Amino acid sequence: MNWLAAPVALPLMAALLMLLLRRQATARRTLAVLASAGQLAVALGLGLHTFHHGVQVLPLGNWGAPYGIVLTVDLLSAIMLALAAFVGLAAIVYGCFELARRREHPLRLPLLQFLLAGVNLSFSTGDLFNLFVGFELMLISSYALLTLEADDWEIQHAFPYLALNLIGGTLFLCACGLAYALFGTLNFADIAARAAALPGDGRVLVLGLLLLAVFALKAGVFPLYYWLPHSYPTLPTPVAAFHSGLLTKVGIYALLRLFGTVLPHDLTLAHETLAWLAGATMLFGVLGAISQNYIRGILAWHILSQVGFMVLAIGFFTELSLAAAIFYIIHHIVVKASLFLCGGVVICLNGSDNLDRTGHLWRCAPWLGLIFLAQAMSLAGLPPLSGFWGKLLIVIEGVRAGEFVLVVASLVASILTLFSMLKIWLAAFWSEPAEIRAAVEDRRWRPMTAAVAAMALVSAGIGLGAEGAFRVAREAARQAADQTAYIETVLGTRGKEGAR
Amino acid sequence: MVADTAIMVGVLFACSVFLILQRSVVRILFGFVLFTNAANLLLLGVSGPPEGRLPPVVDGSGAPAVDPLPQALILTAIVIGFGVISYLVVLLYRLFLDHGTTSAGELFDPERKEKP
Repeated sequence: MNWLAAPVALPLMAALLMLLLRRQATARRTLAVLASAGQLAVALGLGLHTFHHGVQVLPLGNWGAPYGIVLTVDLLSAIMLALAAFVGLAAIVYGCFELARRREHPLRLPLLQFLLAGVNLSFSTGDLFNLFVGFELMLISSYALLTLEADDWEIQHAFPYLALNLIGGTLFLCACGLAYALFGTLNFADIAARAAALPGDGRVLVLGLLLLAVFALKAGVFPLYYWLPHSYPTLPTPVAAFHSGLLTKVGIYALLRLFGTVLPHDLTLAHETLAWLAGATMLFGVLGAISQNYIRGILAWHILSQVGFMVLAIGFFTELSLAAAIFYIIHHIVVKASLFLCGGVVICLNGSDNLDRTGHLWRCAPWLGLIFLAQAMSLAGLPPLSGFWGKLLIVIEGVRAGEFVLVVASLVASILTLFSMLKIWLAAFWSEPAEIRAAVEDRRWRPMTAAVAAMALVSAGIGLGAEGAFRVAREAARQAADQTAYIETVLGTRGKEGAR
Repeated sequence: MVADTAIMVGVLFACSVFLILQRSVVRILFGFVLFTNAANLLLLGVSGPPEGRLPPVVDGSGAPAVDPLPQALILTAIVIGFGVISYLVVLLYRLFLDHGTTSAGELFDPERKEKP
């Protein structure tokens, strides 16, 4: 399966080519759209293949696991790859509509492709150290994007982002070293096989908790989320949509992969810690959102409260709750990115996203209003939209597990989400203050709205076709948690003769 | 030898955490430099002493050698760490130019008003 390398190789090659096209913005944009569309096609193909045939392995340089480096893609990875490509494509297309060719920074699209390469490597790697490399590639590109177009005032928010993620990366490196000292290997399948031979060993639990801290920081879980809500709103809209849709979810994916596939399933302490941290994340995230008065700030805080839901589902750690987590990721990435893009259209029309300076939009852009309302209600979790099904599954699992405090916390967070979404709706769409006008003569907003509408359609499809989407999520959770099959397939894939 | 390295790693981590918690961004910077190097040293400690180990590719002499893989990891980590630290230096210099202060406390003072 050489196709497994394509999601990493395609954006890397596209980015390198784009670096040469400093002046030809049209060529750069065409290349970016083509690369993302290609990734989407490959990822969907991989998804179809893994749905029927299980995990796929590519031993790089034909050296088999556990000695060589392997790329492994199962259905969960394929879903994440497809979502990354989809959000990337939407952000790039939206960016083309938003900015005139001459005003686009020549490094923005190449850096987005490097970011995608890092994200895709994290999704498709089969060992801990390449996960580290993928994370660092992703983070370094995001540092660059964060400061590339920032003004003198906004650039200071890059410092906490950089500092906290540097600490996270270094702790991750320590965790890699300790895992190697403990198991003598870094390959996921080999670690899983050897960890099974150390039942109830305290060192495995400590390693699990260290990895939990690392990925909780990347995902923005409760005590470690300070870097997120101040830095994301300073990004240009399409880049912010990409970051908010995808980057924290790489942390969630790593948690799912590590606790589902790699580490033994009896680390109850780690799972409970995750669940309680998630409960706190949901509440604090949504309270932070209520305190904000500009759209991007509100949405950035809501990322945290939504991350809480996904981590909560991982924390319950039943097969159904893992499936619920995956379903929630699918729903959340699309909805969150499209809401950020909606916010971008509001900025285009009103010239600001401060809720005191917005208004009139329901009269001049009713379609945008409908899209925003649908996505916002989906975020809050109203039936029959996609967010409702994700939350319903998580609440069912919570009640089954008897964690009533956490279930109540999640319901309170949902209601407060609805409240702050209605705040945006009332201020930007419903209010008609006399001193504010909407720049409808600006021709950019119609194609921008069309790009958001495409995302809203996908999201509505997930909501209405929830049964099909959940079946896919369930199969992905089954594959991700099936350690025996994973170990057999990965360690059974031979490289060249005698390489094993 | 492993115990010595472990103590050294502990001391380095303690010093770097102390430095990172200071207010001056220059001290924070030095704290991060120490922090990444402490992690590298930890990885080096994973190799263990060379006694009683054989090199993965035997050259005939049969002299003991340490496990080379952690050192390969360190090389990668040094490159990544160097890149990020140099980026941090430039960022902090830019912040100093923009705001005229090297105190993290002043830089992130909530009392300062938003965008002037």
